[in-house]
Amino acid sequence: MICPHCAYDNLPGSEHCENCLADLTQLDQPVAQDRVERSLMEDTVSQLQPRQAITLRPTATVKQAIEVMLRQDIGAVLIVDDAGKLLGIFSERDLLTKVADPVVDHTTRPVSEFMTPHPTTVRPGDTLAFVLHQMDVGGYRHLPVLKDGLPLGMISVRDMLRHITRLCKTCGK
Amino acid sequence: MAWEGTAVEAILSMAELARNLKTESVSRLQPTPPWRIAPEQSVAEAVALMRQQRVGCVLVGRADEELIGLFTERDLLRRVLAAGLPLSVPVALCMSRDPVVVHPKDPIGFAVRLMEEGGYRHLPVVDAAGRPLGVLSVKRIVHYLAEHFPSTIYNQPPDPNVVPRQPEGA
Repeated sequence: MICPHCAYDNLPGSEHCENCLADLTQLDQPVAQDRVERSLMEDTVSQLQPRQAITLRPTATVKQAIEVMLRQDIGAVLIVDDAGKLLGIFSERDLLTKVADPVVDHTTRPVSEFMTPHPTTVRPGDTLAFVLHQMDVGGYRHLPVLKDGLPLGMISVRDMLRHITRLCKTCGK
Repeated sequence: MAWEGTAVEAILSMAELARNLKTESVSRLQPTPPWRIAPEQSVAEAVALMRQQRVGCVLVGRADEELIGLFTERDLLRRVLAAGLPLSVPVALCMSRDPVVVHPKDPIGFAVRLMEEGGYRHLPVVDAAGRPLGVLSVKRIVHYLAEHFPSTIYNQPPDPNVVPRQPEGA
């Protein structure tokens, strides 16, 4: 890490220059390189206008959840309590890994038994880069958008792809 | 001059992502192996394979033959559970026929556009004869995009409003 003031070669990650004590923290700040990067760094979840959250009570049956997912053409529903507080998320992945059973029919059981509790969430003010990071690290396709602890909407991997392809329209064949 | 410094850089790197999406091919993303089951096998067997391999879809077809269909989580939801079918039905009755496919030489941008427009989360990668070579998942695309902007994704600017709930070291 070369100090811009005195050209002294500091250890990477240093906060001050060892030689002239100049502040080096700005050197590690990420800088947007192009339109896509700038958008990912600066644009927030709310600018993507996430679709409204479809919510169900924990007492709803798996069958009801399936009907809602089909009707709304979505891959995940949010499970909330009476006060509207988020309890969990129920997605197609839960259907595959927990519900589908060759012997027992689980579709009449409450959805709360199969949901994923305490899902990773984002806030309307979080940047798109943060969302992409959460999706990559957790392998999630849906992230609930929470405001003051209450679900506001849902952001999907498809929303992210749409945003990025719009930003670089020239891509493709 | 307006064309100096950052403006020029921005145009060059913008062109870089657009160019990468156009020139880098699907094979660069190392699609996952094509987990395959025969059309007469049951949905329960497909589900077991998907759970075991932790994947969201399996290909339907016979070894070294053309791809017949695709069985995905969505098919499980739509054509099996919502329809009230038992898991013992053959997968051929509940699969998606003639899925949209990509070839290893297709540009990544083309695959991204197919996924975004069609809402597909998996694209089978097939050779010229239509034999499956692998599956490209949207998860892999997200990772590719995240890799593309490492400094943006992995160095989040600090939030001055965030304070630790407990004193550090407590």
